[in-house]
Amino acid sequence: MKGRQVIFSLVFLVLGFILTFSFRLTNNENEAADISTKQWERDLNLRNQIVEMEEKNRSLQRELNANQDTIQGIEKGFAEEEQIYFNMAEDAEKYRMFLGKVKVKGQGVEVKLSDGNYDPNEENINNYIVHEHHVFRVINELYISGASAISINGQRLKANSYILCNGPVIEVDGYQHPAPFVITAIGDADVMASALNLTGGVKDRLVNDNILFSLETKQEIIMEPIYGS
Amino acid sequence: MWLPVLGLIIGVFFGLMADIRIPAEYSNYLSIAVLAALDTLFGGIRAQLQNIYDEKVFVSGFFFNIILAASLAFLGVHLGVDLYLAAVFAFGVRLFQNIAVIRRILLTKWSVPREKTEKN
Repeated sequence: MKGRQVIFSLVFLVLGFILTFSFRLTNNENEAADISTKQWERDLNLRNQIVEMEEKNRSLQRELNANQDTIQGIEKGFAEEEQIYFNMAEDAEKYRMFLGKVKVKGQGVEVKLSDGNYDPNEENINNYIVHEHHVFRVINELYISGASAISINGQRLKANSYILCNGPVIEVDGYQHPAPFVITAIGDADVMASALNLTGGVKDRLVNDNILFSLETKQEIIMEPIYGS
Repeated sequence: MWLPVLGLIIGVFFGLMADIRIPAEYSNYLSIAVLAALDTLFGGIRAQLQNIYDEKVFVSGFFFNIILAASLAFLGVHLGVDLYLAAVFAFGVRLFQNIAVIRRILLTKWSVPREKTEKN
C-alpha cells in the first residue's frame, strides 16, 4: 500500500510539474506577445518619427540648395562687378597715364630736332630754325602712331597742353624751351619709328625745312609724372 | 492518501519556481506531454472504476505516453509534418471517451443505491 502511494505521489508530482510549467510557459508567451505588440507600436511610432525627420531633412536640404543657388548668383554678380571694377581701374590707370599723373615706363623713341647749320646764303633765319609747327607735326605723328605718353625736353605733355611760338623759344605749358628739342614718346617703338620715316612724311618735310632730325629707338624710357596740375 | 496530494503540491511548487527557459518551438512538446498525462490519469481512474486497474500498466503508460507524445511531436517538427496534431487528436478523443465512461459509471453507481433505497 505504501509503495503504491509513493508511486502515485511520483506520478502526481510529475503531473503537477508539467501542468504548472506548461501553464506558466503559455502565460510567458502571452506576455511576450503583449510586449511585442507594445514594441510594434513603439516601432511604428519611431518609424513615423524617422519618416517625419527625413521629410524635414529633405525640405531643409532643398532650402539649403536654393540658398546656395542664390549665393552662387550673388557671387557671380560680385565677380562680374569685380571684373567691371578691374576694367575701370585699368581705364583709370590709362587715363591717368594720358593725363600725366603717373610715372610711365616702357620702350619708345626719342626724336631730336636741332636748328640747321648757319647758311650765309640764306637770308631769312626763319628758314632753318625749328618752329613750333615742326614740333606739332612730330607730336601729332607720334600720337597718331600710338604713343601713350610724350614729353618735350623732359616735360610731360598732358591732354590740355599747349605749345606756343615765343620768338626764339617755344613755350610748353608756360615753360620755355630752347632748341634743340628732344621729343620722347613711349609706345610701340617700331611703329612710331616707321611712321616718322615714311617717304614724304614728317622726317622728309623737316629735313626739307633744313632741320637736323635724329631718331633713336630706346628699350626703356621712364617718364616722371607731372606734379601740381 | 495525503502522500500523492503532497506530491502534487510539490510538483506544482517546482513548476512555479522552476526558472527554466525553453524555446517557443518546444512548447508544443510540453502541451502534448500534458495531454498524454491527463489522458493516462483519466484512463487510470476509469480502469479503477471498472475494476481492471493495473498499477504497472498505469505507471508505465503514464511515463511512456508522455515520452512518446513528446518524441512524436519532435519527429513531426523535424519532418515538417504536424504530427503533434495526431497526438492531440488521439489523446483528445481518448480523454473524452474516458471521461464519458467515468461519468456513466458514476451515474449508475449513484442511481443504483437510490433505487435500492426507494424500493426499500
